[in-house]
Amino acid sequence: MAHNDNVIRTRWFEDIPIGEFHVFGSHIFSEQEMIEFGTLYAPQIYHTDPQQALDTRYRGLIASDWHVCATWMRLMVNYMEKYALGVEDGRRNGAGVGFAGLKLLQPVRPGHTLTFSHEIIAKPDKVIRGKWGIIRSRNEAINHRGEVVFRVLIDILAQRAPT
Amino acid sequence: MPVKIPAVYWEDVIIPTHLITQHKKISVQEIKHFAATFDPQPYHLDHDAAKESLFGGLCASGWHVCAIMMRLLSDTMEQDSIQFLGNEEIPGLKWLLPVFEDDQVQADITFTQKAPAMNGADFGTVDADIKVKNQHDKVVMALTATLMIKTRLSHGA
Repeated sequence: MAHNDNVIRTRWFEDIPIGEFHVFGSHIFSEQEMIEFGTLYAPQIYHTDPQQALDTRYRGLIASDWHVCATWMRLMVNYMEKYALGVEDGRRNGAGVGFAGLKLLQPVRPGHTLTFSHEIIAKPDKVIRGKWGIIRSRNEAINHRGEVVFRVLIDILAQRAPT
Repeated sequence: MPVKIPAVYWEDVIIPTHLITQHKKISVQEIKHFAATFDPQPYHLDHDAAKESLFGGLCASGWHVCAIMMRLLSDTMEQDSIQFLGNEEIPGLKWLLPVFEDDQVQADITFTQKAPAMNGADFGTVDADIKVKNQHDKVVMALTATLMIKTRLSHGA
């Protein structure tokens, strides 16, 4: 297990199998971090003010969709750091190129724990700048009740094996 | 006292509408702060490592650019009194160019389509094409967004 995990980041594009599944980890969303994120980036009152949020359609404070995305990123980086040989290796350190179908399916409220998963679902037949391929993943978060609350398909670059 | 623009509800939104947000200059401190919290990869935190990376310089996390876009969009909606409730969905987004330190970004927003409120919902949706451009007028990020806008009905209820 650990042995396989250690080579996650040092594999070439060609070596990454469709169907591979990872659980990046969990995060408990606090009221404070929701308000901090909302105040800076998504100033709708249900992201910034717990009292006024009670009178909105959400009946309380909820996390911004972008806050959930950013948290997904943090857990992915932590996971890759833990199981990679080092960030100097650039092959799986390729940047994201885009995403599709980003949606929050249920509100994320203070104290909720989200567990993030990542499944490789496709390797579109494209070569970027001569040396990168695209790895498409389905990313989901489930809450403490087991409900899927967040979903997004993300495309990330992975370096192709030298020919 | 500034004149208060009357609230714009979903029913009032005209297709197409074109909005341009304020500018936002992105400092190295902001880039590093966001990255340290959410995306601690070398090309967002360390100048030397960033130079060696595929980006060629210290640049903002793509999620940071998303968050900044949301702030610019929210402020423009607020300024125009459009009763914006957030995103129902982001059908697609592409990060096209890095946003480097001290780059200045701005978003072009076009409302392209409206869908009425679902039964019982208090909002309708408006599809938007959004392009975030830098100070060289290059598109750094492009997306489609399904925005939730409060209905007049919900206001009366």
